[in-house]
Amino acid sequence: MTTEKYKEQRIGYEMLKDSENPMMKGLRNWLERVFRTLDEGKPIVYNEFTFWCDTMTALDVQPLAPEMWGQVPMPAAQEPCLDAAQDFGIPPEMCWAGRYVIGATLLGDRIPPPTCIVVPTYPCDNCKAAYQVVAKLTGAPMYVLDCPYWIEDDEEAMDYWVDQYKGLLSFLEEHTGKKLDYDRLKETVEESNRFIEYWLEGKELMRRKPLPTNDMFGSPVEILTSIGLPEATQAIKNRLDDLKARVARGETAVPEEKVRVTWNYLPVLWSLVEIFDWMARELGAVTTMTIFDGTSFEPIDTSTPESIIRGMARRALHGYMARQGRGSSDIIIEDTLRAVEEYQADCIIVNGALGCKWLRGSYGYLRDICRERGIPVMMFDADICDARVVSDDEVKARIGKFIETVIERKKRGV
Amino acid sequence: MTVLQELAKLSDTLINPYMERWKKKGGKIIGYHGIYVPEEVIHAAGMLPYRLRATGSTSSELGDVYASSTTCTYCRHCLDQAMRGEYKFLDGFVSFHGCDHLSRSFDAWRYGKVPTPYSPFYLRFLDIPFKINARSVKWMQVQVERFKRSLEEHFGLTITDDALRQSIKTYNEQRKLLRSLYEMRKKEKPPVTGAEVLALVIASTSMPVEEFNEQFKKVLAEVNGRDGFKDYRARLLLVGGTLEDPEYIRTIEELGGLVVIDALCVGIRHFWDLVDEDSEPTAALAKRYLDRSISCPRMVDYERRLKFVSDLAREFNTDGIIVQRMKMCDNWGCDSAMIKRQARKEGMPCLILEREYLMSGVGQMRTRVQAFLETIRR
Repeated sequence: MTTEKYKEQRIGYEMLKDSENPMMKGLRNWLERVFRTLDEGKPIVYNEFTFWCDTMTALDVQPLAPEMWGQVPMPAAQEPCLDAAQDFGIPPEMCWAGRYVIGATLLGDRIPPPTCIVVPTYPCDNCKAAYQVVAKLTGAPMYVLDCPYWIEDDEEAMDYWVDQYKGLLSFLEEHTGKKLDYDRLKETVEESNRFIEYWLEGKELMRRKPLPTNDMFGSPVEILTSIGLPEATQAIKNRLDDLKARVARGETAVPEEKVRVTWNYLPVLWSLVEIFDWMARELGAVTTMTIFDGTSFEPIDTSTPESIIRGMARRALHGYMARQGRGSSDIIIEDTLRAVEEYQADCIIVNGALGCKWLRGSYGYLRDICRERGIPVMMFDADICDARVVSDDEVKARIGKFIETVIERKKRGV
Repeated sequence: MTVLQELAKLSDTLINPYMERWKKKGGKIIGYHGIYVPEEVIHAAGMLPYRLRATGSTSSELGDVYASSTTCTYCRHCLDQAMRGEYKFLDGFVSFHGCDHLSRSFDAWRYGKVPTPYSPFYLRFLDIPFKINARSVKWMQVQVERFKRSLEEHFGLTITDDALRQSIKTYNEQRKLLRSLYEMRKKEKPPVTGAEVLALVIASTSMPVEEFNEQFKKVLAEVNGRDGFKDYRARLLLVGGTLEDPEYIRTIEELGGLVVIDALCVGIRHFWDLVDEDSEPTAALAKRYLDRSISCPRMVDYERRLKFVSDLAREFNTDGIIVQRMKMCDNWGCDSAMIKRQARKEGMPCLILEREYLMSGVGQMRTRVQAFLETIRR
């Protein structure tokens, strides 16, 4: 019985039970579904943490994003898994995401074993390499979606990518025993179109000055666990309604907004959003957006099975981190600069996750352009999930000093 | 000086007399990274393909302006050399999505951070698939054809199918010659050291292929005449990514571990497989370059890679495996752990050595290798 296993997640589930926060509710519902799936002996499909679960929703199979699983109840619970991976020979410089999944697999009792695994070749070497280890250790069949590097305006590249999606659907059918029903797929995608509509509306409100709330609007929770289900759409609608209500009441994130920050990357997960709250509270620095907010999507045309699959494939390319990690530095740079403009940001902060080679490799170019344009930018070293690498205090010290300089520049009218 | 020694010397410097003569005759040189860029396409265009190294680099200070502290030092040193103008002999540069480090380094070239001898400089980034199946080979063929067209358009030339076929034949000859040398290493007394072989493979990527083939036949004759090395403690398979310093292998071999076979990036991964000479050239190139006996760990065919390493160790009667992996390389970080796990299951001693691009920590390396060799009983 699952109640005897996966203690951390069970504790997390209990902690989330009374939360009214729509995101936390979504997380709790997901955990509940995973536990039920395990109890019923049904298939569990690992979806790597940048890969949308819409195909799994359509097939009515249970997605489990291991990296999200490891966040419950808190990232610190991952530490034994990170250590286990290192003992196995995985270098400590690898991203937490890969080390966690490998370590959890090695420990055996930390994560439900997969029936099958789905992983794209984005956003990075780490994910692609780590899941090969997981596939080897578990013996689970793995499907890799091979994403072209240059795909913008290249229909042949898009055709290749769409074929990956078609292959995925066949793979899931084969290994889960489920048969794809195109009406169900259409229904799922139309539901996800509604989700995206609310999400885009919320993003628009988050561009207001002053910022209506410092709470993150965009989140990976629904993307990874339930997009295409009515509950996901309801969750984002609830967030949107709350946001609209705040705007109607004239409420703002802070009494006095001194600095607006663009944070076009993952938050520091080991402190959840505490760093953002501290910045707002202590420095008057509001976080306008994170990488979860950074992209726009077109609604998917659901008139034919081909248009649906093509639309899903195209949409996946622009998901968080998929978009920024799959191609050249052009993308992260353009997106960050656009975010500065759209969110009327005063500065850019990036937590330079030590394991994130694609991000850190782009920073020098972003820094140059920001210098030319007079946009203050800072990257600080940290681990996304392992608080033992760089502490809260060190992070706050770096951010604090940076925000001070931004405030000074603003006073001088620079 | 023997021909072997003469060729081996080419690994000591970035440029060599063969390249200088080539340039003097008005020949063009196209640099490239890794094992997935089809050399034949460059050769059929009448140009010299040159596998990029950072030989001679002593610091990556300039490269570090755009690399990060977690970029692998191979890329940092190559970028440093590039930014210092050490690659000014190149007439073009081709890279591919080998890994995040290579991709981000290539952006420096695209953004004009690297001085080039002319403008617009020929740059090409190949979109190599990560999977191996019929569909991906077709997509790879598209990349080969686009690469060919880009060279034609930029340099104002035509690469004919006949030229491609001839280039394929010539490069296959090189591959067969190198393989015949490797076959000799199966002997109880291999006639050549691992350090020598690495230097020769590097030479093969740094000079006109026709001249290499001619000289290499003489190397084979020389090597055939050797008694062979018998004073070693263990026969080793050396696995790993890019390694361009024969001194690294020499350090292992001085301790008694004779490297009789490798699965290195600048080793069998580079040349092992032949191109089918009877098929349409771009299709044949696509198949050969993507669907390899042993891939780079960027690819997702891990089971085949592991099996190949295992079979190779048996085929060459090795006593142990050393995996050298570049620090910060996620691909090799995972592959090396899996190789070690497999080796352990098969009762084959296996040592993982982490390294940087420049040789450092030699004392520690020697200690670890020595201890490893002592655990191996022949």
